[in-house]
Amino acid sequence: MNLDFIQLKALIVKEYKEAFRDKRALMAALGFAILAPIMIVVGTKIMIEKSVDQPPVYIKFTGAEYAPKLITHLSDNNILAFADIPESDQAIWDDRNIAIEIPEDYAQNMAEGKPIKIHLKADYTDKAVLVPVSRINSAVREFSMTIGYKRLQLRGVDVRLLNPIKLVEQDTAKPDATFMMIAMILGMYLMLAAFMSGLSVAIDSSAGERERNVLEMLLCQPVSTLKIVIAKLIGASTISVIGVVLLLVLTSISVGFIDLTKIGATFSLGLSSTLVLILLLIPICFFASALQLFFAFQAKSFKEAQSTVTMILGVPAFIPFVLMMMDDRPQWLSWLPIAGQSLIIEDIFKGVDVNWLAVFTTSGVTIAITAVLVLILAQRLKSEKVVMALS
Amino acid sequence: MIEVFNLHKSFIDKKDKKNTVKALDGLSFTAKDGEITGILGPNGAGKTTCLRTLYGLLSADEGFATIDGIKVTEDPIAARANLGVFPDKFGLYERLTAYEQIDYFASLHGMTGETKKQAIAQVLKDLDMEELAHRKTVGFSQGQRMKVTLAQALVHQPKNFVLDEPTRGLDVMSTRVLRNHLAKFKAKGHCILFSSHVMQEVAALCDRVIIVANGKVAAQGTPQELCDLAGEEQLEDAFVKLIGSDEGVAA
Repeated sequence: MNLDFIQLKALIVKEYKEAFRDKRALMAALGFAILAPIMIVVGTKIMIEKSVDQPPVYIKFTGAEYAPKLITHLSDNNILAFADIPESDQAIWDDRNIAIEIPEDYAQNMAEGKPIKIHLKADYTDKAVLVPVSRINSAVREFSMTIGYKRLQLRGVDVRLLNPIKLVEQDTAKPDATFMMIAMILGMYLMLAAFMSGLSVAIDSSAGERERNVLEMLLCQPVSTLKIVIAKLIGASTISVIGVVLLLVLTSISVGFIDLTKIGATFSLGLSSTLVLILLLIPICFFASALQLFFAFQAKSFKEAQSTVTMILGVPAFIPFVLMMMDDRPQWLSWLPIAGQSLIIEDIFKGVDVNWLAVFTTSGVTIAITAVLVLILAQRLKSEKVVMALS
Repeated sequence: MIEVFNLHKSFIDKKDKKNTVKALDGLSFTAKDGEITGILGPNGAGKTTCLRTLYGLLSADEGFATIDGIKVTEDPIAARANLGVFPDKFGLYERLTAYEQIDYFASLHGMTGETKKQAIAQVLKDLDMEELAHRKTVGFSQGQRMKVTLAQALVHQPKNFVLDEPTRGLDVMSTRVLRNHLAKFKAKGHCILFSSHVMQEVAALCDRVIIVANGKVAAQGTPQELCDLAGEEQLEDAFVKLIGSDEGVAA
């Protein structure tokens, strides 16, 4: 084994030992990845419930006792009798005054197979009445159809004969605003996870080591500063990659629990798109850690490093947000780190085919910038100002 | 062999030029192989600055340092390969055990496998710290910390050995262990350079003493020569006299 390899291995093994033994920092890093999917699921559920919720409708029934099954069917659809109304809503529904009249001979006509007339009375010019009325309409029609189908089936007629043509609807409209919101938040979360997860390890292994006086000892050894920087970068970015992968896996499991079809959105984080996301985010993890090491090493103290590096966290949160606001996105934006990845992540969530050229360009640029940061940092570490934290 | 030629170093305060500290002012000396050389000086004399320049942590404004003939500024990595360092400020990796830490530094010097294992076992035995080896260093006492640092500096058996006040905080037993250790290294022909405040130690251990004051050499020679030069019996008195006035040194 040659010397370079032995040294690099020793440096990396040591960074890993320190990172994985720092349980508190590790929990903080991975806690973010664990919390995010939970927040997404809960948040989305609330949003979906709001948008597809069927609020109760209260109706003044007359002759309800003649058609108990119909009433049950209606109440299954949250169409309830006026008697059940809570006091707070009473005035509203009294004003809307929707009434249904069920005739006395309902049961008899039903048994004989004669048509039954049920009367629905409401003020159709009142806009507030329209939604409840259409819900009553479709509930009654559904109930009627079910009985009709059963009658035909009893007579040996295939019910499919009633529907010679079936219209299959496909919505080509853009995903609605609610869904775009979810996609944007998730995209931002992924970026933040790349920056957050490795953060404490990056600060600890740079400014922290200098503060604990171990950096000076290390720099007295016959090791090139480039190797030291590379080892620290690998240490911090490994934690960051673990954070991102954990976040993605947990998210792809948890979105299974949300029924997005209710709001007309399709969103799935399949294996292939998860893999593309991981491929896309690994360079970002390295970039984030390199950036954090870069600023942490140049800070004069651990405290200063913490505040500067925390400020960098604004970058991954801010850039996707700005991109959302922009109408005309210049081409070069899609090559830059973070911006490029955000655009591709947006495409993946929209279900648009991945533009591989863009993936490779932006990854390439990200890796190149990371390499430049590493080289500059390795050079800086030779300077007494950085080593001794002199001004 | 460690040589230092005409080192100059100033720390400049950018905001207030008057605040500039001249730490080294033309310091030159040689520490030969097979000898223990002591650097003696009052606080702020430039001892640590000089040693830091030797490791290549600081760059001198003028002059240079060589280790076994290799200029530190030109090829720091090759120069440091022949160097064991016990620095002024030292810390430990608190999440590693003492063994892992020594192992880490041994690997950085390119040691592997059985050779490394034996070297670590040897240094642990020499410094009488086998019991500490597999404990995490987080709760170590000052003396135990010193031992770990010494072990990691010695594990690769460096040809040249630089210690910046190595006995501060050590108890009598540990100091003796260290002294014996240094004597053994000296017998094997290694070059040892150390800075200290403790007169008895310097007098007992050093073949040559270099007295540094105001960033330059105030006097040098064997402890006896220095006493003779100052006309005092005790090294301590000689030291005070020698750094006290520049005129006496010029003679």
